[in-house]
Amino acid sequence: MRQGSYAFIYDDLVSDKKYERELAAIESRLAFLDIQGRVSRMALFRSAKELVQSMATSGVQTVVVVGNDLSLDKVMWFLPEMGVTVGYIPLAGPSEVASLLGIPVGAAACDVLGARLIETVDMGRIDDRYFLTEVSFSDANAQVDIEGRYRISSTGKGTISVRNLGRTLLDDAKESNIQDGQLEVVVTPEAEKAKRGKAVEPVPETRILARSVQIIAPNPIQIRVDDHALQGSHFSVDIQPSALRLITGRRRRLPTTDPLLQSNVKRYTFPAATRDPRSFR
Amino acid sequence: MHDSSSTVIARGVKVEGDFTSQGNVVIEGEVRGQVKTDALLTVGNEAKLKADVTASEAVVAGIVEGNLTVKKRLELKATAKITGDIACETIVVEAGAALNGKVSIGTAPKDAQAKASVQTSAASAPSAA
Repeated sequence: MRQGSYAFIYDDLVSDKKYERELAAIESRLAFLDIQGRVSRMALFRSAKELVQSMATSGVQTVVVVGNDLSLDKVMWFLPEMGVTVGYIPLAGPSEVASLLGIPVGAAACDVLGARLIETVDMGRIDDRYFLTEVSFSDANAQVDIEGRYRISSTGKGTISVRNLGRTLLDDAKESNIQDGQLEVVVTPEAEKAKRGKAVEPVPETRILARSVQIIAPNPIQIRVDDHALQGSHFSVDIQPSALRLITGRRRRLPTTDPLLQSNVKRYTFPAATRDPRSFR
Repeated sequence: MHDSSSTVIARGVKVEGDFTSQGNVVIEGEVRGQVKTDALLTVGNEAKLKADVTASEAVVAGIVEGNLTVKKRLELKATAKITGDIACETIVVEAGAALNGKVSIGTAPKDAQAKASVQTSAASAPSAA
């Protein structure tokens, strides 16, 4: 019996009827694995931070988020401060974060919880908020100051990402290391349009490792942090090494070219500015 | 091409300031300021550097306006255009490379005493030292 050490946070999307069957499968799998704990639901006017804080003070050691990548985003910005181990059960795919963490979608994710392979991972921090994956923007006028030594900018259209965890899904793309104590600044140029009869040559990415960067723009720009948007003209981004204990799947330890991983990885375009970030507080 | 552990400044990216690295560096974009690496520097044929460059080894195929200090081997490809002084241990120059500056070959960068000094302008003959 593992009661008491786990708590589950259900996102409000879980109450959607279309997830009813999957949720039942998850709950029965958890019961089979004897993983039990208090269930709390996120709601629009309930502070997710206070919810987790109350769990932590009542002795909960592992907080499991049930929902999708947006659900994880609602709690990830403060979780490293709580001193809890974090698990994730993605209710439905595609889930970019789940695939990066080697967690299968649906009831199969319960087995990952049961295996309890825990990794202590780095977390990115933008101003006073933590992020798991990356910060990205596409404004050509913005620059990234690398540790106060030099600045990089894109001379054309493209995306600049400051990455803790993630990869661009190119054939030979390397995944950012979540345990190296460094951020990876990646500039991905916009793909050239195919001309008649001519194959488009892939434009290589710019990749630079850094511990801290500043994003500076002459005018306010919109940037994406994990799955939410922020607006401003100056952001400080740094890495907090070994900041979070995360339950990950065995698939994470496979090389990115492994067919087992590829089957779960789909290109997922994050919706920009999907929520007002203030609503998370 | 380049290995996955290299720092890459690809085409379409501009760097301003003192760019320092301890690993291999590949530059295909623009750099203004300084470039320093303790390993191999590769300057691609579309790269434009207005920078003083220090590297352990270097292969240059693009444009460099600034001084090049290379501890070991410097290779200038046919498309290279250098405006500045060069100091290196050994040099390989492909036919077609353009060079305007003082060249000191066979000297360690910290060693001020030049074993050989050549003043060149638009060198185009293949040579190896």
